Amino acid sequence: MKTYVIQRLVIALLTLLGMSVVIFTLLRLAPGDIVDILFSTAGYVSQDEKTAIMKELGIDRPYWVQYLDWLRQILTGDLGKSYRYDQPAWQIIRPLVPVTLELAALSTLFAVLIGVPSGVISAVRQDTTLDYLLRVFSLAGLSMPAFWLGMVIILGLVTWFAWIPPLSYVSPFQDAKLHAVQFLLPSLAVGYRSSALIMRITRSSLLEVMREDYIRTAWAKGQTGRVVIWRHALKNAMLPVVTVIGIEFAFLIGGLVVTETVFNLPGVARFLVQAILWRDYPIVQNLVMFIAIVVILSNLLVDMLYGVLDPRVRYGG
Amino acid sequence: MSRVRVALLSITLLALAAVLLAPSTSQSQSPKSGGVLNMMLREDLSQGFAIHETSTISTVWPAMPCFNNLVLFDPLKKTESAETVIGELAEKWSWQDNFRNLVFFLRKGVKWHDGQPFTSKDVKFTFDMLREAPDSPAKLRINPRKDWYSNIEAVEAPDQYTAVFRLKRPQPSLLLMLASGYTPVYAAHVPPADYRSNCVGTGPFKVKEWRKGESVEFVKNSDYFIKGRPYLDGLKYYVILERSTRQAAIQAGKLDVSFPGETTKTAAEQLKKAVPQLVITPFSQNVADNIIMNMKKPPFDNLKVRLAVSHAIDRRALVQAVHQGGAVIGAGLAPKPWGFWGLAEKDLVGLPGYGAKAAEEKALAKKLMAEVGFSAQKPLKVEIATRAIAVYVDMASFVVNELKQVGIEATLKQIDTAQWHATATRGDYQIGANLTGVGPDDPDANYYENYACGSPRNYSFYCNEQVMKMFDAQSQELDPKKRLALNAAIQKRLEADAARPILDWKVDYFTVWPHVKNLIPHQSIYNFGRMQEVWSDK
Repeated sequence: MKTYVIQRLVIALLTLLGMSVVIFTLLRLAPGDIVDILFSTAGYVSQDEKTAIMKELGIDRPYWVQYLDWLRQILTGDLGKSYRYDQPAWQIIRPLVPVTLELAALSTLFAVLIGVPSGVISAVRQDTTLDYLLRVFSLAGLSMPAFWLGMVIILGLVTWFAWIPPLSYVSPFQDAKLHAVQFLLPSLAVGYRSSALIMRITRSSLLEVMREDYIRTAWAKGQTGRVVIWRHALKNAMLPVVTVIGIEFAFLIGGLVVTETVFNLPGVARFLVQAILWRDYPIVQNLVMFIAIVVILSNLLVDMLYGVLDPRVRYGG
Repeated sequence: MSRVRVALLSITLLALAAVLLAPSTSQSQSPKSGGVLNMMLREDLSQGFAIHETSTISTVWPAMPCFNNLVLFDPLKKTESAETVIGELAEKWSWQDNFRNLVFFLRKGVKWHDGQPFTSKDVKFTFDMLREAPDSPAKLRINPRKDWYSNIEAVEAPDQYTAVFRLKRPQPSLLLMLASGYTPVYAAHVPPADYRSNCVGTGPFKVKEWRKGESVEFVKNSDYFIKGRPYLDGLKYYVILERSTRQAAIQAGKLDVSFPGETTKTAAEQLKKAVPQLVITPFSQNVADNIIMNMKKPPFDNLKVRLAVSHAIDRRALVQAVHQGGAVIGAGLAPKPWGFWGLAEKDLVGLPGYGAKAAEEKALAKKLMAEVGFSAQKPLKVEIATRAIAVYVDMASFVVNELKQVGIEATLKQIDTAQWHATATRGDYQIGANLTGVGPDDPDANYYENYACGSPRNYSFYCNEQVMKMFDAQSQELDPKKRLALNAAIQKRLEADAARPILDWKVDYFTVWPHVKNLIPHQSIYNFGRMQEVWSDK
């Protein structure tokens, strides 16, 4: 197990290194840079002034020098300065991280709480009215983009209750109730869509396991339905479900752009899009690296869980 | 009793009656102190509070409360003109030597937000920096309005509370440019770069916190030099990127005020239907839809082609189709009552593209195109560039369709915001659909920025020495009537030269909740964000 984890961490580091090259290159391939944007807000461009600003920001240097400088900054824990805000990138990124992590975690939690039980019920009550209803419910979730659902929620709230959630981040230490309300609605909107996927995977995986010989044996031995389904079948059916949950969580870290925008939550994804529009390289590079780290770690965690769920899975060797 | 005594008694009684009766009429309108005004931003502050380094309302609107100008357009009056300019840091001012010297007598006892005293040194510092004087101790990273100050020969500070602007030639309009929201006075002891992240001003509000990408919060400046102002305890601007969320927030009462230039006629109608008590005021954004044509390259170096383009576009149809009636037609300057200097509808008749019958205009366009060898069978193929933002693209799409009807086959090329101004300034385009905002509603601010030879914002590269002389002549004209007439002639000339055909002037439907008092939109979105006089009747 220990060797396996070390191996995975080494691979993760190499992946991150590869990612850094990709991020860096793609950003430089995009047309325009921060100086163009700065002039854009002024409505004109002066080549001399542009050259001076590029020098000031260090983006006139060869790309490889800029890249190595960025790697050096990461290794020393200094993420550089935001071009747009002229402040340390870490100071700007730090408040965004908990918002997105909380939103993604809550959304995943709702997705699991809705998706797994409904998947189990749907599988156990296969081809009954309840099964059909749950499948329609899940299909609706898959068909509705979370941002659309978010907009509908906002419009519904404002139309019927003349109320919308807070417009800026409310810390749980500041007002726990308002904080919960602020995160509940977007989490439900996102969680519903993810739950649909989880429900369908749970259902199909469980149906497959239910047809295994050892399940038939369990029924033959006179085990209760609860024991057969929850203890024997579901545990084995959970491997693909856990994989999906891991992927969904990782996706949500960087994929909540529109939900964060609609609900006006100051999270990573919303800020990332703005930083890309401004070609604020230090912010974009480090935020994408953060997302990559979360994706890699969540994958690692899923792999660890395989061993817990299925003893046949062996690590190392 | 003598007649004098009777008269005195009568006057006293009348005065007493006036005092006794006054409260009943004015009490309901006497300003209240306290409260926080919640407002929206459609994007984060572009370059912090550095107003002098940007040309966007996204910076001016939330940064204005931190600053003061020497003079400002009266926040309580809709009209912007020399008559509505009031003193801010300047207690009074005086034109001398036939409008060649402008002397400002500064207020005493004004303090910067960090406690330092304000003096004429700060005025000299700011305007030497803006006009890029050789001996200026500071330089702006980007200086978009340098042209506004090109007529200033020197700024002098003979004593702590006097500042003198010496001009190369008379320019009464300078005062109006100084009254714009774009012209705050910076502190001489603060490096200009610091304004990108913080704000040391003298204004009615101090920055409390700027949460990047989220909100910016101000608190009342209790040391403000006007006693009793500001009325509000604070201001909070929320960054809300999504338009529907912004609208929902104002509808739900979470926000008190809309963003200037943000509310279309359709949106205003929807809001009014949902919340009838909202107060909606139509006003000029001082932003014009226009066509830029690169005169350095064929085919638009040919006046006939440019005129054909101008004739082809039906302005009235554009106003209805793209703005649902939320714009007005006009030439180089916003027309009355939205602006002061623009040509009236009757004066527009006869100018290319302004004819009442669109079919006749299109026939003229076809004729001009035929004269240069193009027709429906042999169309002129061009690429029409525009900024990849909905307000640009909507208008550009309409223009493409109009041009198609006169033998100009235009394909739309959307250019990323990052590249738009660079493309236009370099002239890497043939024809473009553009939006132009003008700070104060004043000819000088517009002409020297957008039509003058060599100006970086003269995207069409229009350069006519004769017209330049006309610009200078109107700028120096002291008789208001004569100046108005000169400006009418200039606007007609610019349209006849198809220098930058103006399609319409956009109207904003500024929306506030009824408890918001004294927030009066002006003739330009850039000049009424000070918030000093605003109070809340909540």
